[in-house]
Amino acid sequence: MDFFFNLAPLAILVPLLMFAAIILFTHPNNRLSSSLAIGGIAFSTIISWGIVLATILSGEHIWEETWQISIPWLPAGTSVLWIGLEVDSLTAAMLFMVPFVCMLIFIYSQGYMNLGKPNQDPRYSRFFAYISLFAAGMIGLVLSGSLLLLFIFWELMGLCSYLLIGFWSFRDRDTEDHIDEAQVKRARAAALKAFLTTRIGDVLLFSGMVLLWAYTGTLNFSEIFQPEVLEHLAEITIWGLPAATVIALLVFGGAVGKSAQFPLHVWLPDAMEGPTPVSALIHAATMVAAGVYLVARTYPLFVAGSVAGDGSVLAVVAVIGAITAFFGATIGLAQNDIKRVLAYSTISQLGYMMMALGIGAYVAAVFHLLTHAFFKALLFLGSGSVIHGVEHGHHEIAHHSDHHGDDDFNPNDMKTMGGLRHRMPRTFWTYIIGTLALVGWLPFAGFWSKDEILGEAFHLWREGGTFSLPLWVWLAGTLGALITALYMGRQIGLVFWGEPRHGAAEHAHESPHSMTTPLIVLAIFAVIGGLANLPSNVPLVGGELHHFIGEVHEVSEVVHSEALALNAIVAGLSTVLAVGGLIFGWAIYRNYRVGEVEPFQRWLGPVFTLLKNKYYVDELYRAVFIRPTVWLADISFRFDTGVIDYLVNLVGRVTRVVADFGGVFDAKVIDSTLVDGTGKVTNSFGGWLRQTQTGRVQNYVLVIAVTVLLLLGLYLYL
Amino acid sequence: MNFPFLTLIIFIPLVGAIIIALIPRNREREIKWFSVIVSLFPLVLSIVVWVLFKVGGGMQFVDEALWIPTLDVYYRVGVDGISVPMVFLTTLLTTLSLFYSAYTIKVRVKEFFALFLLLEMGMIGVFLALDLVLFYFFWEIGLVPMFLLIGIWGQPKDRPQYSAIKFFLYTLVGSVAMLLAFIGIYLTSGTWNILEIPLVGPLADNPALAVAAFWAIFLAFAIKVPMWPFHTWLPDAHTAAPTAGSVILAGVLLKLGGYGFIRILLPFFPVLFKQFAPFIGIIALISMIYGALVSMAQWDLKRLIAYSSVSHMGFFTLGLVAASATLNTAEPVLNSRAIALDGAVLQMFNHGIITGGLFFLVGVIYERTHTCDLKAFGGLSAKLPVYYGVMLMTALASLGLPGLAGFISEFMVFRGAFAIMPTYAIIGVIAIVLGAAYILWKIIQYIFLGEFSKEKWSAIFDPEHWHFSLDMARFEIVTMVPLLFFMLLVGIYPAPILNVINAASTALLSGLL
Amino acid sequence: MIPLYWWLIVAAALFCIGLYAVLSRKNAIAVLMGIELMLNAVNLNLVAFWRYITPQALTGQVFAIFVITVAAAEAAVGLAIFISVYRMHGSINVEKLDTMRW
Repeated sequence: MDFFFNLAPLAILVPLLMFAAIILFTHPNNRLSSSLAIGGIAFSTIISWGIVLATILSGEHIWEETWQISIPWLPAGTSVLWIGLEVDSLTAAMLFMVPFVCMLIFIYSQGYMNLGKPNQDPRYSRFFAYISLFAAGMIGLVLSGSLLLLFIFWELMGLCSYLLIGFWSFRDRDTEDHIDEAQVKRARAAALKAFLTTRIGDVLLFSGMVLLWAYTGTLNFSEIFQPEVLEHLAEITIWGLPAATVIALLVFGGAVGKSAQFPLHVWLPDAMEGPTPVSALIHAATMVAAGVYLVARTYPLFVAGSVAGDGSVLAVVAVIGAITAFFGATIGLAQNDIKRVLAYSTISQLGYMMMALGIGAYVAAVFHLLTHAFFKALLFLGSGSVIHGVEHGHHEIAHHSDHHGDDDFNPNDMKTMGGLRHRMPRTFWTYIIGTLALVGWLPFAGFWSKDEILGEAFHLWREGGTFSLPLWVWLAGTLGALITALYMGRQIGLVFWGEPRHGAAEHAHESPHSMTTPLIVLAIFAVIGGLANLPSNVPLVGGELHHFIGEVHEVSEVVHSEALALNAIVAGLSTVLAVGGLIFGWAIYRNYRVGEVEPFQRWLGPVFTLLKNKYYVDELYRAVFIRPTVWLADISFRFDTGVIDYLVNLVGRVTRVVADFGGVFDAKVIDSTLVDGTGKVTNSFGGWLRQTQTGRVQNYVLVIAVTVLLLLGLYLYL
Repeated sequence: MNFPFLTLIIFIPLVGAIIIALIPRNREREIKWFSVIVSLFPLVLSIVVWVLFKVGGGMQFVDEALWIPTLDVYYRVGVDGISVPMVFLTTLLTTLSLFYSAYTIKVRVKEFFALFLLLEMGMIGVFLALDLVLFYFFWEIGLVPMFLLIGIWGQPKDRPQYSAIKFFLYTLVGSVAMLLAFIGIYLTSGTWNILEIPLVGPLADNPALAVAAFWAIFLAFAIKVPMWPFHTWLPDAHTAAPTAGSVILAGVLLKLGGYGFIRILLPFFPVLFKQFAPFIGIIALISMIYGALVSMAQWDLKRLIAYSSVSHMGFFTLGLVAASATLNTAEPVLNSRAIALDGAVLQMFNHGIITGGLFFLVGVIYERTHTCDLKAFGGLSAKLPVYYGVMLMTALASLGLPGLAGFISEFMVFRGAFAIMPTYAIIGVIAIVLGAAYILWKIIQYIFLGEFSKEKWSAIFDPEHWHFSLDMARFEIVTMVPLLFFMLLVGIYPAPILNVINAASTALLSGLL
Repeated sequence: MIPLYWWLIVAAALFCIGLYAVLSRKNAIAVLMGIELMLNAVNLNLVAFWRYITPQALTGQVFAIFVITVAAAEAAVGLAIFISVYRMHGSINVEKLDTMRW
């Protein structure tokens, strides 16, 4: 079975190679490029599933002796930093999902980008290159056995995210009219926003990583998680806090950025400017879950930091998660863009995972991560299919009528859709399955995973005391579940029921098989995904995931790796809310007409406006962070030219003035008076003296004679 | 005596410059290609030196001869693990610059290429000199050709004469102070030998004078690096200089200062360095953050990159300060210090490769349009995809994306800094975020993203002076390929270069005191 | 015997006559003759001093003979120069020969 483990590096390298091949060589040939990309990810999927199988078969031993390889990578000072890959059951659980979902989305993208059709995207090859690079990054991240390697892949994905959100951020105005100017601007801003916002988190993670290396001398997970290393970390203090606490908080900062947790969530909704498969792949299923995975992966650090810092770190994780879960869901109520609703839903669901991690239920978090990846990818791809269909409808009416359609038509606007269940049946049914899974209807995947999180919170509340943290987590989660059901009801009501509210929806038709087949496959997993981890009181299959990954990390009093039995109160309440909310939302929105004030807006009034404007967080950040930074940059520049450079030039100018004065002194005093004066005196004296030189021999002789006489006289006289 | 590799590396460019002076000026083609070929010799020799270099073997390939007997001055050159990458960087960038200039320099060809080779000699000499007088000699020699390169071949609208004189005077102020300090050091230690002076402990009996000498030398190197607030010559010089001049200026000349810090100031005055480390650390932080902020406010691409150099060389300074903030040589402090110094040296190398590359890439649009105004562009990635790809990769390397060179050195600098001066380090990471902001927001967004329109482009494009393809021409790609290769190599597998640096910096630090 | 100073007086008179000729005559040949007179006055002195003061040594006579020889050579060279000057300037009037003047 080591065969598949030893192939693990190839699972990363092959997609990477495909990226290079497409960018450098095959990009003129679209079909070849996408085939290479799909082939590469299929290869990775096979290897990954081989690894998963091998891990399952190796049974109980996998967390005692994980598979590792490492190489000396960075000779640093008197030590050498090693990096490597590591496979344990947590990795295996992720490996089951990541390449497979990637592959489905790759296949879907072929259809979405209209391969072989007249309206095929001109950047088709480039798209597949980018997503191949992304897949390499995500698989690499999961396989990393070292925080450094994980960080490298983490940033690589950040880059791909930037490139793909900004996929339509430029155009040649004269040849590319399938993108409009406003879209270019939005994509450009969204890409930048995504990169910079996550960069803030990344820098925190970077700091945490560097501190960890400084204090432990290694970044390999297996070495860091040794109890004595963690104890050592808990003992050192930095800035008055235990190092473990500081490091865990910094690492969590990275997770907040990547997983779009409050307060760094603002980039994710804007990221929907990217092509829809990207939204599904990166901004729902995989990359944004990397933050959750990171916390789950470095969980011992969080536990150690939490214990050393009076439970602070995990409490922070739980609170941030709970806030995000509730807050994201509420914004989702008031959005009109089909993808933005899903984006806020993603933020909210990621919040669920974080709060599960925060209360110690990391198995539940990973479980929710996995099921969420399937059903959220399904929903995004479904929304992509809807948009694709509506766009086709729009093209059709634009083609038939002479006027070139209305230019401000937005294919993402749910309020212009309606009645699509008849026109796009396959999309409709899969979308409904995804919705039910997300909302948490029995027996869909989402029910089991969400319910486990709520059950854990409830259980811990009962154990922990009246107003302990789990109570708030449970309340936030339960309320969030209700709101989730409401916004999903609103969405399916608006999109699939009622009459078509625009010509485009009327002429929409079903997407090609390359798009709907992945939907069906994902739908199957959205139905049966719960089987992976049924409650412990289900015979035979109960608590499978707990058995599988429960002991990846050392068990301590703050970690609950034991599977819980199904709690009838929690499950019953959340089912009632889910069923009631969904049906209520669907019922009041299915007959919505264009131009009407929508029901929620009628009832919620100013609160709805607040939600529609996303609590004005963007505006707040613009006023508090962006403007001051730009202003500071401007001021610094003015300071640079106005003060520093001014002083430099002043020194130069003063020197010149002094030099000018020196020049005048030199010319007037030294040169004309002293130097020239000497010359003039010598000259006039010489002019007088030269008269003695007559050139007549006799004069000279006379002078000689007289001189001799004089000398003689002098001699005699003396 | 062994084969005089280093002497050849230094003086082959000089011989080349003299021969060029003898070639008639109308044979431009011959002059250009002859100088490129001449510059290949030092490049190949420096690679040979790197290959033959014994890691951890201290000073190697030493050539020594008495030069001025009455003053006890020796011609003495040698390399250790810190100078090997610097010499390689110099020879590589010079060859690439000459190659690039062979296509783009059209006036006064003969003088340009002769001066460039002369410049190369000066720069290499600084990295190899082991005698203070020789060091000073080469230090000053490099000034003159660069002064002329900026002044004569500069962009007329950017005040080349002003910039050239500013560059020259600024540097000269520092070097005069440095010369005085050198003389003072000689008078008390009795030797000019850079390796022997630290053993003597210069000016140990006169603390006040030692402090004065410290700051005098500091000033010279700080101006060259450049550190805030001595940086204002840099943007002007960069904006005015021809492309190849900017490349060398950013790629190599700034490193002379950094190298001086490591080779001279730190070993000569470790105690003083430690004493002033908190203060110098603040200067480093200001350079990093302030440089990044000012970059963000620029609308001229060259000026922007020039300020980014201030920021990036601030990372270097931070590493240097972390390495010298304590004299503790016990483990694990020595380890952290050595990592910081490794990071600093590697940061110099990386900055040379990356910023050199960025300036070549500025040249790409400048040669086509004769403008560096960011607002004049937009949507270029739709028309120049290769250029976009190359620029994106270089820019990402510059902002420290893992997998590319810049990350490794930042990583190591911060590793050292977080271990030794964590508060400084946590403030310093702000510069990383700001770095991403100005690079993506200003460079990538304004030049490459957005709308490409024919009208806007034809307003700036100058087809009469551009005879190559619209996207990157073959010679431009050839120029960039070695740099891209090193960005990737250092980013993916830094061990080959770090082994060399690491042994030297560890030896240097453990030998201090 | 005639006392020494008589000889010296004669020699001095002769010298003065020669000097007068050198200073006052305009013809170069006359000037040359004046010089000859001065030289002969010196010769007279030399011989007189030898005879009266150091009769045992021959220095005085030898010097005198030396002077006579040099005077002969000088006269020959001088006359040759005058001929050449005369050819160039058509005159050997020393007052006109002042081209060496600055």
